[in-house]
Parts: sequence; C-alpha cells; structure tokens
Amino acid sequence: MDAVEYLDLLLKALLLAGVYAAMAVGMTVIYGVMKIVNLAHAGFLMLGAYFALELFQRFHIDPILGAVLALPVFFLFGMLVHWALVRWLPKSDTPTLASLLLMFGFLLVLQNVGYLIWGTEDQSILTPLTLSSFQIGEISIAKVKLVVFVAAVVCMVVLQIVFHRSWFGRSMRALIQNPYAAKIVGVDDQRTARLTFGLGTAFAGFAGALLGMLYSFSPDFGRPFLLRSFVIIVLGGLDSVSGVALGAIVLAVLEIFSTAIPLPWYWHKWIFFYLPPSYQPVVPFALLVLVLIIMPKGLASLFNRKWKTA
Amino acid sequence: MKWRLAFVGTYIGRSTIFALALCGMAVFCTGSSPAFAADDTITIGVVLPTTGSESKPGQYQKEGIELAIKQINDAGGIMVKSKGKKLKINEIFYDDGTDSKKSAALTERAMSSDGAVAVLGGYSTALGTAESVMADRYKTPWITTGAGATAIFGKGYQYAFGTLSPVALIGTTSAEFLGSLIDQGKLKKGLKVAMVVENTDHGVDYVQGFTEWSSKHAGYFEVVLNEKFELNATDFSGVLQKVKTSKADVFLSDAHLPDYITMHRQYLQNGLHHQMVSYGARGPEAGARQALGAGTDYIFSGIWWSNKLPYPQAKKFADDYKAFAGHDVDSWYAAPAYDGMRILAKAIEAAGSLDKTAIRDALRKAQLKDAVLPGQVLKFGANGQSEYPFVITQNKPDNKVDIVFPKDAATGEPVAPSPNK
Repeated sequence: MDAVEYLDLLLKALLLAGVYAAMAVGMTVIYGVMKIVNLAHAGFLMLGAYFALELFQRFHIDPILGAVLALPVFFLFGMLVHWALVRWLPKSDTPTLASLLLMFGFLLVLQNVGYLIWGTEDQSILTPLTLSSFQIGEISIAKVKLVVFVAAVVCMVVLQIVFHRSWFGRSMRALIQNPYAAKIVGVDDQRTARLTFGLGTAFAGFAGALLGMLYSFSPDFGRPFLLRSFVIIVLGGLDSVSGVALGAIVLAVLEIFSTAIPLPWYWHKWIFFYLPPSYQPVVPFALLVLVLIIMPKGLASLFNRKWKTA
Repeated sequence: MKWRLAFVGTYIGRSTIFALALCGMAVFCTGSSPAFAADDTITIGVVLPTTGSESKPGQYQKEGIELAIKQINDAGGIMVKSKGKKLKINEIFYDDGTDSKKSAALTERAMSSDGAVAVLGGYSTALGTAESVMADRYKTPWITTGAGATAIFGKGYQYAFGTLSPVALIGTTSAEFLGSLIDQGKLKKGLKVAMVVENTDHGVDYVQGFTEWSSKHAGYFEVVLNEKFELNATDFSGVLQKVKTSKADVFLSDAHLPDYITMHRQYLQNGLHHQMVSYGARGPEAGARQALGAGTDYIFSGIWWSNKLPYPQAKKFADDYKAFAGHDVDSWYAAPAYDGMRILAKAIEAAGSLDKTAIRDALRKAQLKDAVLPGQVLKFGANGQSEYPFVITQNKPDNKVDIVFPKDAATGEPVAPSPNK
C-alpha cells in the first residue's frame, strides 16, 4: 500500500473513532458518577436506532434530526429508569453485583420489548446520504460517517462545556473525584445521579440513532458495541470523558491498521506479517487486558503523571 | 445507624431479587413454549434462531417447517404402521437466539427430556455444527435445514442429515457461471479475483469449491486476494482497503446476511466497483435490498432455491407459503426446511414405527420425488448430506431477481460486467 492508501485508512480510522466515541460517552458518564457498569447501554442504543427509524418512517424526519430529538426524550427516559430501578441499588465506590445483574436484566427486558414491538426483522434507514461518499483523489469518505463524526465531536465538546461551566457539571466532577467530600460540601448526590443517568441515557439514544444510519439493526442491536465501549472506557481512564475521545481513536486506529500494516515478529530473524482480518476482534480484547495490567487508570493517567511531574 | 444499615441491607436484598426477577422474566420471554406430547402424536423438535443476528433466516425456516407440518396434519397426519393409525405431528419449537451453546443445549433437551423422535433445525453453519454432536449422542435423527458445510458431515455421524447441498458447490457453481460469461465473451479471461470470506467452515468450503474449479480450468481466474473475516463484524475498512489495493476485477465474498449488508454498505461507501460482485449464498434478500436500495443491483448469488424455478410444485409452495406466513417467500431459506420436514414425514411412514433407529434407516433410503428444490428430487448421500444443483440468481433494478445460470433454468440474461453507476 502507498502513502495515499495509508492516509485513506487513517481518515477511516478517525471517522470510526467518532462512531466509537459517540457510543461510549454515555456509558462513561454513568460509570464515572455512579460506578454502575451500564450493561443496558446496548438496549438504549437499540432503542435510539428504532426511535430514529420510527420518526423517519412515520413522519419523514431526517435521522440526523431524529438523533437530536432523541436527546431530550432519552434524557427523560433515563431519569425514569433511574427513579424506577437504579436508585434502589446500594451505594458503592465500586461496581456491585446487584447493579450488574439489574442492568443485565433490564437489557434483556428492553431487547424482548423490542422483539414484541418491532419483531425479529433487521431494519435499516436508507437516505440519500447512506451510500454516498466524497471522493478526494483516490480517497473516499462516506458522508454518513462524516456526519456521525461531526455529531460525536459536537457532543463531546458540549459535554466538556457542561462539565466545566455548569453547576451540574461541577457536581458530577466532584462526585467522580471524591463522593464523600462532594457530599460534605453540599452536592446532592441523588439528584446529580438522576440527572447523570438521564444524560448518559440521552447520549446512548443519540448514539443509537446515529448508529442506525450506519448499520442495519434488530432488537439484538448494540451488543457488539458493548465490548468496544468497555475497552474505550478502560482506555480512557474509566471516569474520564475526554479520555473517551482518546480511547476511541486508539481503538479505531489499532483495529483498522492491525490488518493493513505489516507487523514485525522475531523468529531467528525479523519477519513481517499481516494480521488476518478474522483476528481483528482480538484487538479490543488484547487492548483491554494490556491496559488493565499496565495502566489500570487508562491512557489519561499518562498525562496526569506528566502533569504531576511538571 | 443500625436502622440505616439494616435498611441498606434490605435494599441489597430487594434490588438483587428484583434484578434476578427481571432476568427471569427476560429468560421467560426468550424461552420457548414446549407443548406436552400426547401418546397419539409424533413429537418433532425444531431448534432455530428466531432472535439474534440470524433471526430472519431462522424465522423463514421455521415457517417452512410449520407449513409442511400444517399440510401433513391437515391431511390426517403420518401413517404409523405399528400404531395402526395416522398420527399428527406435535412440534416443539425452541429459539436458540443465534447462540451456538444454547442451540446445542436446546437440541439436547428436545432429544432427551422432550422425547422428540427427530429434530430439525440448525440454521447457519456455526449453529448447525454445535447441534450436530447431539444426534449420535442421543441416537436421534437430526436434519439440519440450514447448515451446508461439509465438515459437519465428514465426522462419520450416523444420525445427522442435511437438506442443503454442500457449500463448496456454491463456489464451484459461481466459478462455472463466471467461466460461462468468459466463454460468452462478456468477461475477459484471466480475471483477477479478490475473495473475502467468513471465518467458518462455510467460508472455507466456498473458497475450496471455487479454487477447485479454477485449478481445473487454467487461465480463467487469478486469485489475487484471499482473506477471512470474523462473523458479525462492525467494520470492514481494513479488508476493503486490501480489496481496493488488489486491483481485482471480480469481488467474491461468502457472508451471512448481517455481514453481507454491513460489508456491502461499506463497499459502496468506499466507492468500490467490480465487474462482478457476489456474497456467496446471499444477494436477493428483501432485507438487504431495503437496506441498500439500488446498491444491491447486479449482485449474483449461488442459492439453494429460487421462487423463479419453473416447477409446478415450487410455484405451489410459494403460493402456500404466502397464504400461511402472510408474506412472500424471501430468498431460499424456507424451501430446504419445508422439504426437510416432508422427507422426515416420508421416512417415519416408511419406518412404520416411532423407533428412532428405524426412522434413521428409513431416512437413508428416503427419496422425496416432488421436492421443490432444484433437481426436484431430495435424497441423502452416504454421509447424510443431500446433493442437488445450485442456481445462480442476479439482482436486477427495481427489486427484480432472475435465475441466470444454469441456462435451462434461466429466467433472464446475466448482466456482465455490471454497470458502474
């Protein structure tokens, strides 16, 4: 492959990172504040995709607008789920078995409700944007992926602003950093948790609507993305929203380039080989294990260490 | 403080119980509804995916089997000599959720605790492979209606049968079809072929079938890329970049429906175009055409059945299926399932009893002479797998599909090379 083809791959990796970041950010904020590994995230992604589909089919609303509309709807839905289910969970600084079971059970319920409403058939959102691409020389960029990328970037920027400029964001950060100290200085942990769960669910619905433009989906949709979301969160530092962007980029670049560039291996002499595409799913698993062993606090800890040293 | 701790303890217990109850409810929802067999019925187990990534083909196969059961029961049932009367079929259906472990466990359950005299199912090679080990363990005839990989039938199983022709034949027939286009002057000799297949026995067989024909007909093809991908992948950028770099003339893949849709979507988004494109046995499915619109035009596929087959029984089957299922027959999935149930009924009648070994022996000799499948006769080979010809179909604009190969079954001319829109 020549330089242009590598550049093409790099652009595709960045666009894929946008998709990954969009799907992982909701899970990160919930984990950060509430220490809940939200297995139902896949269910919210699925509902987001169907939400955009229903708006598109019934009211001819563009799925991009559908994704934006998903934000307030899923925010309220998330708060409802928190009020009905999540608030009963025991408080803990670490993920509990009860929270895992609850969210897994809720995922199964969401999936089965999906089957009851929409049946088993795969659905797709086909718009003029779906299959079209920009062509710059030999490089082609899928328009729909570009839209998802831009939406993901906007989403992260807005979230960063909310985190740093609003009372709610400061409460969230305080709870992430030290829940006990936060409560001592007057942060209402229940209210913040409820809003956080709503926010995380809103981003999941938003991401689901965007993913519905990229993939066909059924009520089983979302599970392949769940593992990647875990990897991104672990890479990003478990509770760092800005780390999500970094984690998404690292994962997407490694996934794409692992099969496209020759990898070195020493066996009596240096040899180069290509990782077969069938081994691509190994990449997120291997990353997950490596990061948990070498950098349990994620890639963000590298920068933190540097800042501390400085 | 004590009160608070106790209260938290109550919360832990309550939430855990609630979570378990939710899990239980969900499992209940995904489970099956086994009916209890009466003495005067024949219990047949059916294990297929009606949820999960293979839910659509699984549902079609279920409908094919249930149509056959309905027709048999409406005609009074199957004559069982040892009982001296006709017995109706009692179907026990299990949804395996496209999970191979669940698939094997449910097949085991149907064969052991449910007392099924035979089990049908196993859509997709991965799930069929998992189920296949149960047949000999419980000495119960098992007919896969959706797994065609030869590996399943190369293990010497005595109770395993399959209604799909070997997958390798798809590769061979695809090569033969492309070869015929070269002979007709529509394509040029020495075609560069890029092959990207799923990392299963299905994909391996497809490549083997293609290369076997190719090696016997030197000069027709040059395979410039041969890669495998993992099932249910979400991104194919890397492998599609390799396809682009290979400068191939023809792109051949072997994929299941979800991967076909995802890969072809990204193929189109990457601005790729080849003289001919195929996804093995996938191509004309309504779901793919809905998802990708005109992007699926001119894709050709090697399939086990088409509603365009010029047999009266195939037409009748398509009409009956529509009346039964409430929708048109989509691609090939329902037909091998329908004929699988019918040949099983024939074997039970020939066995004259509900003894599983007697049914197995009868299956080995059974011939369904009014089969809806290509060749019109369904029978099992020495290894348990049936072998009948494939048809090549090609998608045409406006959701039309034609059989384009072999010539004597063709309903339209092949378009080659496919136009670059």
